[in-house]
Amino acid sequence: MTVDTTKNAVPFEMAQIPGPEMAKAYNTAVIGAIMKKAKRPLLVVGAELFEDPVMFDKVIAIGKTGVPIAATAHSIKGFIERGYTDNVTMIGLHPLTNYLRFKDWQGLDGQGQYDVVIFMGIFYKFASAMFSALKNFNRDIKRVSIDRYYHVNADMTFGNLAFDQDKYHEAVDEVTAKLTA
Amino acid sequence: MDKMEGSFAVEDMQNVQINIGAIVKEVEEWDQPMGPFPYPTIATLRDWDFKIMNRYKVFYSPICDRCTLCTYGPCDLTGDKRGACGIDQAAQQGRIVLIACLMGATAHCAHGRHLYHWCLDKFGDLPVNMGDEILVDAPITRTIAGIKPKTLKDFGPVLSYFEEQVSQLLASTHTGQEGSYLDFESKALHAGMLDHLGMEVSDIIQTVAYDMPRGDEDAPIVECGMGTLDKSKAILITYGHNLAASSEAMFYTEDNNLWDKVDIGGVCCTAHDNVRIGEGLGYPKEISEKYKMVGTKAKIAGAIGWWRKMVRGDVMDCVMVDEQCVWTDVLNECSKLKIPVIASSEKIMLGLPDRTNDPVDGIVDDLVNFRMPGVAVLDPTKAGEIGVRTAIAVKPKRAEIREADPFLSEEDFKKYAESCTYCHSCQFVCPPHIKIGDVVQAAAKGNFEPLSSTYEICVGCRRCEQVCPQDIPILSLYAYANKEYIRNQKFKMRAGRGTVKDTEIRRVGAPIVLGTIPGVIAIVGCGNYPNGTKECYDIAKEFVDRGFIVAASGCMAMDMSLYTDDDGKTIWEQYGGAVDGRNICNVGSCVANAHITGATIKIATIFAGRNERANFDDMADYTLSKIGACGVAWGAYSQKAASIATGCNRMGVPVVVQPHSVMYRRAFLGRTDKKEDWEIIDARDGSRVYCEPAPEHMLYVAESVEEAMLMMAKLCIRPSDNSQGRMIKLTHYCDISMKYFGCMPPDWAIYVRHASDLPLKWKDDMLKELESKHGWEIDWKRKAIVSGPIRKMDVSFDPTNIERKIRTKK
Ligand code: SF4
Ligand code: SF4
Ligand code: SF4
Repeated sequence: MTVDTTKNAVPFEMAQIPGPEMAKAYNTAVIGAIMKKAKRPLLVVGAELFEDPVMFDKVIAIGKTGVPIAATAHSIKGFIERGYTDNVTMIGLHPLTNYLRFKDWQGLDGQGQYDVVIFMGIFYKFASAMFSALKNFNRDIKRVSIDRYYHVNADMTFGNLAFDQDKYHEAVDEVTAKLTA
Repeated sequence: MDKMEGSFAVEDMQNVQINIGAIVKEVEEWDQPMGPFPYPTIATLRDWDFKIMNRYKVFYSPICDRCTLCTYGPCDLTGDKRGACGIDQAAQQGRIVLIACLMGATAHCAHGRHLYHWCLDKFGDLPVNMGDEILVDAPITRTIAGIKPKTLKDFGPVLSYFEEQVSQLLASTHTGQEGSYLDFESKALHAGMLDHLGMEVSDIIQTVAYDMPRGDEDAPIVECGMGTLDKSKAILITYGHNLAASSEAMFYTEDNNLWDKVDIGGVCCTAHDNVRIGEGLGYPKEISEKYKMVGTKAKIAGAIGWWRKMVRGDVMDCVMVDEQCVWTDVLNECSKLKIPVIASSEKIMLGLPDRTNDPVDGIVDDLVNFRMPGVAVLDPTKAGEIGVRTAIAVKPKRAEIREADPFLSEEDFKKYAESCTYCHSCQFVCPPHIKIGDVVQAAAKGNFEPLSSTYEICVGCRRCEQVCPQDIPILSLYAYANKEYIRNQKFKMRAGRGTVKDTEIRRVGAPIVLGTIPGVIAIVGCGNYPNGTKECYDIAKEFVDRGFIVAASGCMAMDMSLYTDDDGKTIWEQYGGAVDGRNICNVGSCVANAHITGATIKIATIFAGRNERANFDDMADYTLSKIGACGVAWGAYSQKAASIATGCNRMGVPVVVQPHSVMYRRAFLGRTDKKEDWEIIDARDGSRVYCEPAPEHMLYVAESVEEAMLMMAKLCIRPSDNSQGRMIKLTHYCDISMKYFGCMPPDWAIYVRHASDLPLKWKDDMLKELESKHGWEIDWKRKAIVSGPIRKMDVSFDPTNIERKIRTKK
């Protein structure tokens, strides 16, 4: 049974309606495929992981498939506590997005700019604004959300799953499975 | 009216005379030559702004991709698109930022303009006397206007200058005017600078006229919190930012011996200003003879985030609003609980009848008998009297109504809670993401715990109630379940001390510039977000304990008063109120924020002997390179906060804000991967040096309070730190990181110039890591760094960003 992540595609904060270009909600297979196909993906995770700690393990599972992780706010702590820091870098979401919008940035590892960024576990309003910055000022990067919210300024997102934790967990697991398949 | 027009005419005449006299006098008493930039206009400081923006890239996160400002619109500006008028997304964002900064700056300046007229009317012209320990009395006015104000009337031309500038700036936002985002931002920086000028003028006027503390580290301890309002008396709430009418209510109460019948509690900055009245040096006489220490009789009801919660909590009998930050549904909210409203400012009249010229008795009678929900009375003296008399007379009437039909009975509470269908609509709109559905469901089962534990996190925005299909008055449920908390919300706060003394600057100037005091932390704005008011206390406590100089103001100062240590002491009772390490000072209401930026000027002039007169960029350059100060607005909502932060940035003071502040749309962020961005001039010989990125950012949104604290510690690092200073700053930076992140910050190495910069605690490990991870050459015998740092430690390095500061050309 796959989770239908295309339902409930309304902005999580209802008045968060930016303009004509709004995100499309996709199912987990498509999002997984986009992440898998990416040449330089970056998974960006934030402090909301602490509110649902099992998410750290799910992020680590994605990290183990080779997707590098940017740990924003103080989320690095959750990785250290779990003994997984291999491809995890501590950086603020604000400076990270600032770097992402410049085409000449060489990435956290010095190997070049990213082509797909994936957000999860970040305070909604902040994540939305950072997606907006990329949407307007660096359109070369694909913006993907696998957070529990419909993310209006992303390219690809889930619909809202904020009130169904189990379904949300399942959806993330499906994306991870797609990456390892 | 006749009287006012008369006094204006005379005032204009006197201005001319005073100005002529002042020039002669200033030569005698203020021997500083006029600097290069008196009364700077829009383009005067543009070079400085571009220097800032060259290092700190303008970063936009648009909240709206469209523009709807003219009839060609709506235009879609997403990505590379331009509007019909040719504007692109970046410039459009810059335009919105500028408008926000102008809203903020004019709010303060208009406040100052009102106080200027009102105080001259009430007290006549008064000397700007800040006492013997403050000679550099109005540092921002001196720096921007190039004048030293002698009397209140000297602020007239300063306010006129401000008004001309904002009119020019606002004009530039019309379609078809400015088109470059960089120039919009330079204009926003100009507006921000003007804001600090407006704040300084406002606060000095009220300090001088109402005999407020002038840099008093022992300013009285006053009462704070809803529970301090004595329910056995009538309660008048004065709400807003301008003390004119509120102070008159206090004077009326004092003159008529009514303090045993009425309690006056302030909300938002009026609360600060009420409790500062009559606590200064004893002049003017009018205040000191009749109203000495009268401020201590008023109470601080609370900060802006508590406003609707106070109304729903039924803590007041009458409310008088003045200006700024007054929630515009005050009339709707209050009329439901039969609370009469008096509007006392032209800026907020709420559609009410203007009863300024009616007799007081008739107005009170109309309000007390609920013939009208409120009145506008624009004469502060009259409004004050009406407020006190109405509160006293309406109290028994409200009690009767409450008796007959409680505003929310136990049955109502149950009925509402049980009607929740758990539809989650409320959770879609709650700014701090409270799981309101769960909270209400628990309440229906008789479990009030979630209603109490989220009470401080709720900002009282009322969004949830508006979307609830069951029309559940969620804020009233909160009030019902938190009755006990409201009764017990009784705390102590130190009244605003006002400005900073010259003697204090002498004491802390060198340690700040050398870094041995690790930084100056200014905690300003309101404390709403993102996780309730407690985080402002946590931030303050962390940095005071670490020996930083901590200054607070506005609603933040009130909100951090709501928490105590194990001994039951608030932060104000735990620490002294001086401008010094391990102290916390409350400067006062939001306009008193100017004293914090003013203090950086005072360090440059008193400690470093620089001329501040008409010399803005020099003061800002000194601050940026040498004064480890960082502001934090952890929960601010307003456009005023946007302009205050922008003004700090033009002054070279970085600011950290909370995640909701992405609504401000613009940040200034540095790139450490661009070495060339951090080139700085050595003023000794004009040589250019690559410098460590200190401070790294100018305006920064932190996602969590932990990240905010880490960033604040880092943003206090300055190129001028000596080795001991840098070592102390790095110790706090790394220590905060270890404490909240569980690891060292990844970039500590870029701040190391010499082995003695390294924190003792981790020195050996750090040297090893510099060698193994960063490839630095280490002399292990001497435990010295041979090569590797961005630049070497040099005790007499004199960093500047301004060519004219170069002493001898190479
Ligand atoms: S001001 Fe310019 S961008 Fe805005 S609606 Fe008019 S033409 Fe379009
Ligand atoms: S009033 Fe309180 S609970 Fe309701 S949406 Fe606003 S913050 Fe959330
Ligand atoms: S919107 Fe109203 S009915 Fe729906 S969950 Fe919230 S409180 Fe309950």
